[in-house]
Amino acid sequence: MSRPFVFLLRLALVALVLAFLFVPEAFRPLLEPFAPVGAPAIYDRASLLDLTISHLLIVVAAIVPATLISVALAILVSRPIGAEFLPLSRAIVNIGQTFPPVAVLALAVPVVGFGTWPTLIALFLYGLLPIFENTLAGLTGLQPAVAEAAKGTGMTGRQRLFQVELPLALPVILEGVRISLVIALSTATIGSTVAAKGLGEVIIAGLNSNNLAFVLQGGLLTGALAVILYDGLGEISRMTAARS
Amino acid sequence: MIRIEGLTKEYAGNAVVRDVSMEIEAATITVIVGTSGSGKSTFLRMINRLVEPTKGVVEIDGTDTREMKAYELRRRIGYAIQDHGLFPHWTVARNIATVPKLLGWDRKKIDARVHELLELLQLDPDEIAPRYPHQLSGGQAQRVGVARALAARPDMLLMDEPFGALDPVIRAKAQTDLKSIQDRLGSTILLVTHDMAEAIRLGDRIAVMSEGRVEQLAPPAEILTHPASDNVRNLVGDDDRPFRYLSLIPVSERTEEGTAEGTPIAADRSLYDALAEMIWSGREVLPVVGEDGSARGLVRRGALLDAARSVA
Amino acid sequence: MIPRPDKLGAPMGALLAVALALPLASYRANRIALAEARGLFEALPAVWAAALLACAVATIAVALFVRPPAIRLAVPALTLLLLLIAIGVAARMLMANGADYARVAPGTGFWLAGFALSILITDAIVRLKPGPFLRLGVFALAAAAIAAILVTGEWNALSILAEYRGHAATFWREGAHHLQLAFGSLAAAIAAGVPIGILIHRSERLKGPVLSTLSLIQTIPSIALFGMLIVPLSWVAANVPGASEIGIRGIGMAPAFVALFLYSLLPMVANTAAGLSGVSPSVTEAAAGMGLTSRQRLISVELPLALPVILTGVRIVLVQNIGLTTIAALIGGGGFGTFVFQGLGQTATDLILLGALPTVALAFAAAVVLDAVIDVLPGAKA
Repeated sequence: MSRPFVFLLRLALVALVLAFLFVPEAFRPLLEPFAPVGAPAIYDRASLLDLTISHLLIVVAAIVPATLISVALAILVSRPIGAEFLPLSRAIVNIGQTFPPVAVLALAVPVVGFGTWPTLIALFLYGLLPIFENTLAGLTGLQPAVAEAAKGTGMTGRQRLFQVELPLALPVILEGVRISLVIALSTATIGSTVAAKGLGEVIIAGLNSNNLAFVLQGGLLTGALAVILYDGLGEISRMTAARS
Repeated sequence: MIRIEGLTKEYAGNAVVRDVSMEIEAATITVIVGTSGSGKSTFLRMINRLVEPTKGVVEIDGTDTREMKAYELRRRIGYAIQDHGLFPHWTVARNIATVPKLLGWDRKKIDARVHELLELLQLDPDEIAPRYPHQLSGGQAQRVGVARALAARPDMLLMDEPFGALDPVIRAKAQTDLKSIQDRLGSTILLVTHDMAEAIRLGDRIAVMSEGRVEQLAPPAEILTHPASDNVRNLVGDDDRPFRYLSLIPVSERTEEGTAEGTPIAADRSLYDALAEMIWSGREVLPVVGEDGSARGLVRRGALLDAARSVA
Repeated sequence: MIPRPDKLGAPMGALLAVALALPLASYRANRIALAEARGLFEALPAVWAAALLACAVATIAVALFVRPPAIRLAVPALTLLLLLIAIGVAARMLMANGADYARVAPGTGFWLAGFALSILITDAIVRLKPGPFLRLGVFALAAAAIAAILVTGEWNALSILAEYRGHAATFWREGAHHLQLAFGSLAAAIAAGVPIGILIHRSERLKGPVLSTLSLIQTIPSIALFGMLIVPLSWVAANVPGASEIGIRGIGMAPAFVALFLYSLLPMVANTAAGLSGVSPSVTEAAAGMGLTSRQRLISVELPLALPVILTGVRIVLVQNIGLTTIAALIGGGGFGTFVFQGLGQTATDLILLGALPTVALAFAAAVVLDAVIDVLPGAKA
């Protein structure tokens, strides 16, 4: 596929999502056949735009601190001072990733109750792992010759970190953020089962009332958002990778 | 006997190997030497059809190789390469047994052959056979690679930089061993290398390749004394030519009547070795002995220098 | 002179000390009543409480000042075992004084202590650098200990087991559904993914499009994919003769199976292709030069050498599927998710745990076992 074609495809997808969010009524004829007779074809208990915004806000509110903390932790264990924690932290990340996101979400409910909080906590905890793992891979995977050269030019540890190691690890770190964001977007959808405000509630309302029109619009919307996010971040990390 | 006629390989119109013809006598070593990009590996790989020729014919004992299935042809030709290419998930014994198994030999015959080959290559069968390739040293892995190539008594052996991954000391030993194995088995070998010294040491005949063509095909002494082109001259190296030439001639050819003092040199060593010994020990004359240690005469420095001068 | 305290031992020891001060158990007058905290000495007979306290203090001392990993493993492991038994004892004691409908659950102190001890144990195991067989052994021992506690009825008074007794019949049925879905979709993904992986390894032209399509599918949130598959599958069930007879329906196992299968394709295909392209060129060259046919090369050289990477794909898929199968409950596909979502609906913590804990345990077991298998393979050493 040629580049301009891919670009147009992306643009069309974004335009379609925006159109659906701002004038959902225009899509009623398409969805009507899937709704049971007499039931609404467009989700009517909340505005789709509000739900989308709140969905994205939860994701951002969880992933921003998760990124900061996991990058900081990865830097720490890759320095001599935290080296003792390196094997353990690898094991914890390995074990932690066997915990299903749904289980993390469900287990957070008994601790903090229903609503946005358990979702936020689950997204945050689950978001830590891929970013930590990738940051660590980026920092420790530096070419020995480059690390040696940085030392040889007389850079201090801090200078090496900020001028050489982090910039070179950036594409890998961004890839971790991308993975975390996609998982978070997906887990936030499940968050609706614990009463977090988000697009999952459209799908779940559809499943509960046998309204396939709801299921489809919720599913297509979250699917499209995930694809746009994944694709967009991929483009950004490709740009940084090309530079370094 | 292998007959090669007009062998050519083109990639998208660019000829990598151009119209190469030669005949290879049974029980000889022919070395193809050239710089990287000279087409020597492609040429070799056309013999066992890892690369299909664009034009030309390869005949083995009168049979056109195009008439066989490629994999059947390859089972008749031994193949050894630089990184030995041993299968890492198989033991040494299983690796060596590759082609015999493909040919459907029975178990007993295969076991006996593996044992025989490991001994031939000076590897202890009981110790080495059950090992995995990652448990071998570089030199051992290379020898196992050769054993695997010889396993099914192939019509000929193709070797692509077989010693390329070895350090200089092991490399010299591996070359000597290959030569003596070839003497004993009477194998027909076609070997590719970029190293002219290796070519001179091993080859009965040397084919110098450049830009896809064979520039000269001749015995080593002729390559040294009468290089056919500037390319060949460059590959031989002007400064080293007299020494390379001396390394080809056994001491026995310049031995004279008489007796001399000091540590003797064996008659089957080269004049190059004799010269080195003279320089080290500060002597002008060395006594020469036979394999059994009996006196054969002496060799003089003047005679060596005369021999070396004949190259120029 | 007191040696410098261990860097990890210090925070974990502190966490353990805090855990001892927090409530060990929580008591509720009935299934959904408000929880009341019960401290260590309120929840346990004095002897048990003292023993647990002594073990915990010993663990803190070991965590801070003892170096040999074997001791760092043994002492926290014994303490954890004691803690696990003690929570059962506490539940029996508290229930003896309580009403019939009362529920006793582990409290924050228990969970925190369990967490600190698990981290210390993990750290000790990591420091021992165990081989695959030792790891499997440790895992089997831990699994056996928990099974023994369950079988002997030590935990019967705990609320989660009260919940289990209320759902015993459905628990095993949903468990079977869960495994059927997770393993069935894995099997289908292997059957389809390995050949596709081989294909894209051989065709550079197909590689990009196939992999990017599969990653896009992985990107779609699970609920969305599960839900949207209802539409085409309902259509198939209604319009393809025989489809509904073999169990294809709009809701239930069929869309769950298809969704899990689609999610599993990317790891299987990508890992197969990566494994094959990781085979050293000199090995494939030698195989061709020896006269192996292309099929023989694939079966006896390339696939065996790619196996560790392919199995890593299987591990990823299995762990992922065991987790994702939970979502199947939302579309009537069954599995342990049934309890999780019922529990969430009823605000019943025990029911949530009844669904979530087995899921986590299964995923963890799958990861440990497959990791060990991958390490044992001869190709992994090369």
